[in-house]
Amino acid sequence: MNRPDDASDQQLDDFDFAILDGIRAIFEQIDPMPADLPERVRFSLALRGLETEVARLVTEEDSRLAAARGTEQSRTVTFDSASLSVIIRIEESKNGSVRIDGWLAPPQRRDIELETSAETLRVASDDAGRFAFGQVPRGVARLVVVGAAERDQSGGGPTVVTPALVL
Amino acid sequence: MMDDSRSVTAPPGRADRTARMADLLDAARGGSEDALGQITAELSPMLWHVARAAGLGADDAGDVVQTVWERLLSHLADIRVPQALVSWLVVTAKHEAWRMRSHGRRQFPADQEWLTAIPDHATGTEEQILIDEQQRALWRAVGRLSAPCQALLRIIAFVPRPDYQSVSAALGMPVGSIGPTRGRCLEKIRVLLADERGGSRP
Repeated sequence: MNRPDDASDQQLDDFDFAILDGIRAIFEQIDPMPADLPERVRFSLALRGLETEVARLVTEEDSRLAAARGTEQSRTVTFDSASLSVIIRIEESKNGSVRIDGWLAPPQRRDIELETSAETLRVASDDAGRFAFGQVPRGVARLVVVGAAERDQSGGGPTVVTPALVL
Repeated sequence: MMDDSRSVTAPPGRADRTARMADLLDAARGGSEDALGQITAELSPMLWHVARAAGLGADDAGDVVQTVWERLLSHLADIRVPQALVSWLVVTAKHEAWRMRSHGRRQFPADQEWLTAIPDHATGTEEQILIDEQQRALWRAVGRLSAPCQALLRIIAFVPRPDYQSVSAALGMPVGSIGPTRGRCLEKIRVLLADERGGSRP
């Protein structure tokens, strides 16, 4: 189960290092990273701010029983962080995926990411703080409310991440 | 000198660099923008080449680099050791590059176009830029590798040496797969390089 990769992959010798150094030198010459990119990165990170809040799960309500003989099952989960609350309703759909409807309180426009094991889904909340992910694969995921600089109507704030959820 | 007979497992400076990155990571987690700036300055070129090796155009590759660093901010707490940092960055850049390609947001060069096209910010042909004959032979050898091997070696070449192993593992070539592995691609290029240097081409 834990078999190592082919033996040739384990040890590099001086010649391998020389080849890799040579390849690096070639690409540095013919396709260098644009000189202004580090500055752009620095700028975007500064906008986003380093402080990230980790939200706590506060309530989890399973409406499986409530939904009398309905075929759909849903649960509602609430997370709180210092700057905002996130409430999400997770519904199973028939094709085996999951739908997530969410609200931010206080209501605000923010970019919302759902990080699943396979990919990161991105949506944005509306003025009412509402957002939705229509089709999410089952599995482990977590929400990230992406930090934003303060703007006129829509309040900004630091990035908020939730703990991982099992969908 | 006995140097060429031993295999290199611990390049000089390895411990220093690992310790320095660990310190920078700690400082970045503590909110130091300067530490984060040093990490991004050091590792952004690697991310650029991961994105370009995935076939993205220059604008998209720049966006990928930026997105990866933004995503790191929400993952800083999860990344405890520098080795984990570099593999996380490479894997995330690869995923972001694939995501961007599959969304077809902008034009991107066809597979491997970077290998034959003149990069937009360079002048002259590659052969003119690569004045050194050794480099030209290596470049021709790279051109004869399979596309996956070209991409893999381009990425590994920009990974800091102490992290070669963990990044190779993280790029996740499953055991027994017919896909490229670092060792297999390096073996191939050694053969091709010997051929190029043997003067079998005009």
